[in-house]
Parts: sequence; structure tokens; C-alpha cells
Amino acid sequence: MTLLSDTSYLFVRYLKKLVRNPILLFFSLFQPIIFLLLFTQLFSKLALAGNLGASSYLIFATPGILLQNAFGSALQSGTSIVLDIDTGFLQKMLVTPVSRYAILLGRLTSDAFRVVVQSIIILALAYALGASVVTGIAGILLMLITIAFFGLAWSGISLAIGLKTRSSETVFAIGGFLTFPLLFMSTALTPQSFMPDWIKTVSTFNPISYTVDAVRVLMLNGFTWSTILSAYAVIGLIAAVTLGATLYLFRKVVS
Amino acid sequence: MSDIIVVNDLVEVYSDGTKAVDKISFNVKEGEFFGFLGPNGAGKSTTIKILTTLLRKTSGSATVAGYDVDKEPRAIRKLIGVQSQETAVDGDLTGRENLTLQGHFQQLPNRELKQRVNELLKLVELEDAADKRARNYSGGMKKRLDLATALVHKPKLLFLDEPTTGLDPQTRATIWAYLEKLNKTEGTTIFLTTQYMEEADRLCRQLSIIDFGKIVASGSPAELKRQVGADSIKLSLENCDKDKPKAKKILSSLKGVTNIIDSEECLTVYAKNAGLLVADIVRAFDTSDIRLASVSFSQPTLDDIFLQHTGRRIRPEELVKTPSIMLGARRR
Repeated sequence: MTLLSDTSYLFVRYLKKLVRNPILLFFSLFQPIIFLLLFTQLFSKLALAGNLGASSYLIFATPGILLQNAFGSALQSGTSIVLDIDTGFLQKMLVTPVSRYAILLGRLTSDAFRVVVQSIIILALAYALGASVVTGIAGILLMLITIAFFGLAWSGISLAIGLKTRSSETVFAIGGFLTFPLLFMSTALTPQSFMPDWIKTVSTFNPISYTVDAVRVLMLNGFTWSTILSAYAVIGLIAAVTLGATLYLFRKVVS
Repeated sequence: MSDIIVVNDLVEVYSDGTKAVDKISFNVKEGEFFGFLGPNGAGKSTTIKILTTLLRKTSGSATVAGYDVDKEPRAIRKLIGVQSQETAVDGDLTGRENLTLQGHFQQLPNRELKQRVNELLKLVELEDAADKRARNYSGGMKKRLDLATALVHKPKLLFLDEPTTGLDPQTRATIWAYLEKLNKTEGTTIFLTTQYMEEADRLCRQLSIIDFGKIVASGSPAELKRQVGADSIKLSLENCDKDKPKAKKILSSLKGVTNIIDSEECLTVYAKNAGLLVADIVRAFDTSDIRLASVSFSQPTLDDIFLQHTGRRIRPEELVKTPSIMLGARRR
């Protein structure tokens, strides 16, 4: 099956590119780590006010920071496809018999892999600071899988924007524009009980909240399947839209 | 030899209505070194994109090695190697990795691929830099690597879209030598587009000249030159605007002049025997009080052919670098 082997070659290509540009990795990890170290200190007294459902703000915020990281990394995905279009590398691939879908799949799988590795780093750091996961290894695995799928769904947005606009700057701008409002108006960093009513309403409909809640129950409470499955339903819905758009635009580019 | 490319009434109309290729037909024989000449925007790259399965044609037919470009693109992709105008190597990967990745795309078995990559690194003289990242290569090295990536699966047919544009003369000569060798020893059919007349003249055995989406001339370089049938004399006058009509009148009365056209210098005269005519021209102009700024003449080049067929120089800036030799000497 050439789709699988081609995907694996491209997966390796993207990872090599990533590892060889450590500065990019550094910057995408920098923000979540600052949040983990400083933000959690800044808001540490939130735990005293109660209603967090967690013994410390650090534990409460770790799931949010994990998703912030996934969100930020996913939004870089589109710039790579723009780069391949601009340099002519995409065209160079397209004149070979390489599987068309492998070009997308290689990208998406390497994105997912990257998000998982970064999440492990963040979890390890959070653990060192005193945040552990009550569901153990199985829970951590499910957390990572959930975060990876979440990342894929959002990669679709940046890929679609990249394919549509062919401009890395636009991908970055829209990515930056989306990240913080979506993050702050979700349950990633604050419980709903702390929010003014209007943000509470927004956060209820904010798709990020669902994934945050799922990762959070795995971290704090246990395998609460209703929360976990509703997160997957939301992720699936987003993925269907964003990856559908990506596929549609990609087809237009390659044929 | 059979035809490896057959193009009939090919048309490409872009979505904005631009007719990039306007009903062109041509064939390329297997083993041929074929040149597709034309200025920027003439339709060269569009034609290549259709033949390399990157772009769908609007109408007409095109087959590569017997496969229809629309119906069997995959079969074509296995047979062709393509080097596009942009040097598309992945700067984050090493030269060796770039070649290996292309080999994987062509589904070469690992053992064979490893050997082939070494061969190619040797061919394009990148053995020493093979394990350095391509980002750090010079322009010429990148271009050589790019060419090598197009050769990894030993394509039967190689498309080169302006392979030497922007290269220094030395690198250009090196690439020419590879291409000639490839065509001769491996029998690879080469389809080359270029704006450099010199390049087409040196490498190609068969040419088509395209302008505004139409083919304006076809044949071997020698045939095309014979069609022009004359040496060219380039005249530049001190006062071109004023003296041009008078000069034209005088020239047309001279024996041996076959054609006079407006050119950048001022006038270009085609004649059977330029050497003899130059003296006559100088004398005639002198008596009529037309002041000559310079005179040069040369045997017909492909540039003259292009000029005759399209009324324009293919690429003026290039001619500044390689001027025809001044009075008294003959080119080539």
C-alpha cells in the first residue's frame, strides 16, 4: 500500500524538519511553559476561593495549558504547506507517483506526534511541580490521544487557511487572532463559576471547553465517560468541518 | 524511433480567460534532445505543466509515452523526471536525504536506491556535501541537487524548465555537459525550455519556438538558421529616429540585402554575404551623411530566428552579456 509507506516517508520528513529547527519547537513550547510556571503562580490563590474542584490551581490549569499548547502547535501546520507551495516542493512531489493523500496524512500524523511529545514534556513538568494524574498511565494515554485528536481537528483550520490564502503571515495572524479569545473564553484556565455571565455563556458553547473538561476529569476525577465522549463528539464535528475543508482545498491544489 | 510526446491542438485557457496555449501541435521523438523556446509568458511552462500532469488541459490531446495526460497521469509520473524553474530542494534535509526521499516517492527498493543515490551524488559532484543540509548549499549546488533528484528513477523522459536560469557560466557549462551525456549514453529523451539561445543552439537537435501561445517555427537549429538564410548585420545610427527612413531606403537598394527589420540597435539587415556588404553600407551611409554609431555582424543565430519570427529579441538583457563580436571578427 503506497499510501502507508508514502505517509511514513513524509512523516519522517516533517519530523526531521521540526527537529532541525529547534527554535520553532522552543517558541511553541515557551508559551505553555511560561503559563505553567508563572500563570499558575499568579493565580495560585484561586484555589483558596474554592469551587475549583482541584487541590491547587496548577492541577486545575494543567489540562488547559496542554490544550493551549496543542492549539498553538496545530495552528502552525498551515505554514508548512504554504512553504511547500512557495518553494515548489509540493509541485515536485506532485510530478512523482507519490500518493496525494499521503502528503496530507504525513503532515497530520507528524503534527499529532509532535503535540503528543510536547504534551508529555508539559505533563512531566507539571508533575515535577506537583500535579499528578489520578487515572494513572491509562488515563495519561487517553489524555494524550484526546489532545492529539484535538490538535488534528485544529490543524485542519490552519491547513485550510494556508491552502486558501497561500500566505504564512495570514495563517499566523488568524492563528494568533483565534488562540487567546478562544482560550480565555473557555474553561481552560478558569472555572465557569468565576466567569461573568456572558463569558460563561460563550464558554458553554466554546468547543475548547469540551476537550478541556474531558482532559480535566481524566486528570482530577477518573474515567467519566459522558464528559470524555462528548469531547470526542465535539472534536469529531470540528474535524469533519476543518479537515473536510482542507481536503476540498487540497484537491483543488493537486488536480 | 517512435514519438514519446504527441501533442495535437492543445489549448489551455486559464480561469481568468487568458489563453496561455493556443492550439499547438508538436511531436518529440524518443531519444531526442528537444528545445522549447520562447520569451517569458509565451506558454512554455504551461505546456510543461500539462505534459507533466500538473495542469489539466482545456482541449486538444496530449500523450506521453502513449499515455493520455488526463486518463493515465500515474503511469506518466513513473516515467518522467521534472526539474522546474524554481529550485525545489528541501533545505532542512541533506543532499542525500533529498535524493532518497525522491527515490521513495518513485518506489525504488531500498538497496537499489542507496546505490543510485551514491551514483547521482557522484554525477553532480556533491559527494563531499552529501550529508550537509541543502540550506547551506550554493545556488549552483542546489540546482545540481535538484537536477539529480529528477534523475533518481532513471526517467525515460526528462523535462527541464529553464534549468540554467540564473546560474553562472561555469555551472551552466557543467550542467550542459551532464545533460549531453545523459542524452547520449542513457538515451534519455530531454524536453528543455529555455530563454537562452546559446543553450538551445548547443544542446538541442530539434526546436520549436513558441510565442503568445502559438508555435511560430520548428526544426533543427541548422534548418531554422537556413530558413533565415543570411548573415545579419546590426547597425546602430547616431541619430536613429531621424535617419532610419533614409537608411532603410539606401539599404534596400544595395545588392545582396534580403531583409531589413527594426531592431534595438536601430536596424538589422539580413544579407547573403555580410562581409562584403559592410563596406558598401559604410560607403553609402557616408555619402548620404548618415552617421553610424556601430556595426556588427554575425552568422545567423537562433536569436535572429526568434527575432525574425516574433519581431522581438528573446531576452535583451542576455544579449548585453554576450554581444556579437564587433566588425571584422566572425562569431563561431
